Amino acid sequence: MATEFDPAANSSQSRSEPTTTAAFGRRWNLTRLWRGLAGTAGFLAVWWVAGGQVPSYLLPTPDDVAGALWTELVTGQLFVHLGESLLHYVPGVVVGVVAGGVLGVGMGWSQVVDDVLTPVVRVLRPIPPLAWIVFAIIWLGLGHSGAAFIVFIGALWITFYNAYEGVENASRDLMEVAATLGVDSDRRLLWRVVIPDALPEILTGVRTSVGQCWMMVIAAELFGAPGVGYEIITSANNLAMARSIAYMLTISAVFLLSDWAVRRLRAYLLDWQP
Amino acid sequence: MSYRGDAEIIVDGVSMQYGGESGTTTALQDVSLEIGSGEFVTVLGPSGCGKTTLLRLVSGLESPSSGKITVAGEPVRGPAPNRGTVFQAYHLFPWLTVEENVAFGLVEQGVPDATRRERTSEMLDLVGLSEFADAYPKELSGGMKQRVGLARALAVDPDVLLMDEPFGSVDMQTRRRLQRELLDIWSSTEKTVLFVTHDIEEAVVLSDRIVVLSGTPGRVRATVAVERSRPRDRSAQWFVDQVEGLFERLGPNR
Repeated sequence: MATEFDPAANSSQSRSEPTTTAAFGRRWNLTRLWRGLAGTAGFLAVWWVAGGQVPSYLLPTPDDVAGALWTELVTGQLFVHLGESLLHYVPGVVVGVVAGGVLGVGMGWSQVVDDVLTPVVRVLRPIPPLAWIVFAIIWLGLGHSGAAFIVFIGALWITFYNAYEGVENASRDLMEVAATLGVDSDRRLLWRVVIPDALPEILTGVRTSVGQCWMMVIAAELFGAPGVGYEIITSANNLAMARSIAYMLTISAVFLLSDWAVRRLRAYLLDWQP
Repeated sequence: MSYRGDAEIIVDGVSMQYGGESGTTTALQDVSLEIGSGEFVTVLGPSGCGKTTLLRLVSGLESPSSGKITVAGEPVRGPAPNRGTVFQAYHLFPWLTVEENVAFGLVEQGVPDATRRERTSEMLDLVGLSEFADAYPKELSGGMKQRVGLARALAVDPDVLLMDEPFGSVDMQTRRRLQRELLDIWSSTEKTVLFVTHDIEEAVVLSDRIVVLSGTPGRVRATVAVERSRPRDRSAQWFVDQVEGLFERLGPNR
């Protein structure tokens, strides 16, 4: 899962000569870097040629998009709209991850809590977060709170699932060791053994949430919440397709950036893993 | 037995049955033994004879179907830090450093920081791992991991040390070295040790007494005293004879 954005992780499988060079704290395989650049150039060329054959409201050319992106950057509009998106993305993800983590640990640990909540969770969990948009609109209106609610639902179930699995699979052996060393309450056992043991899976949930919730944000904004997704659809409504694509690329960029940040955090917190 | 009154561990008529789909299995049947304070006793038996079960009962991780176990004058009701346990598979906490692993029990006892640090470094010294205080278990060899396991169990100053085939997962060289180190630690700390193994030589090298357990269900077949000074020479005639005698006693199950 982690390898798709990680040039270093695949380098061992490379069949070419290991021409590597160190840059940005990572070893790059030059041959593979060239291939990637060639692929990108090819894609842009095809796009550019195709875009030249049709009106720009059907497919703007790469240079149109670059121009639009530049305009949004220098006018600061891009940051304004990104800020709007973050205003519901961040609270939604944070509250969802915490709530999902607590719910998952609680149900994974306590048989009673598990028995009581399982039927409800079984029914609610498969509902796609976006289906809640009707309640988001009725209860909260389609502003930041409504969109944050959709994001919250997404992060909640993703993190819940991973935390639950992590706690269910926590090592019985290590719990026994802890008991022989004087751990005699559930609270201490959770804190000292179960949660640290489940942490890799919990953090997988966090990483998936951080990525998937960008999708929720855009979906919620297509319904009218302010932010990057709203700009994508309003630009398209005005046939300003270059601007639409500029904001689509913005989403891609923040997705990659946030995923990178979570991966770094995960690697830092789990440096004890074999 | 001459240890009555001074017995640190008393196992009195203990039986253990496990209920399963295909009826009940008896792992231990009417096992009784007494271990004196400071004594090194090994339970020797073939795989599946219930010797690990016996150790788990003394550590309190399981409760016997019948019979009674007393450690340091207190009946055993569940695990407690006065019975330090060392496991074959080490079971170190992988997310804690060597130092934090050793300090685990002290933290749970609420030992003040300064005392805890002092005690932890003392234990790391004892097992020769001071240099590795900040290493994670993944960086250690099997022998080093078991030294950490031993230091972790000893850190809380238990009444007894329970060891479940602790050297079963390391190579021969390391095993012999760990046996020597264990004897050194045992004589300097004067702990009561209950040691479980299927390795006859190991039992003879280490023990004051060897309790031979027969196969399914586990029963005490014999108790053999090893009245020789340590370190013991594996090539000595008495050693070879004793190993051979125990081999005979273990019988056809082996």
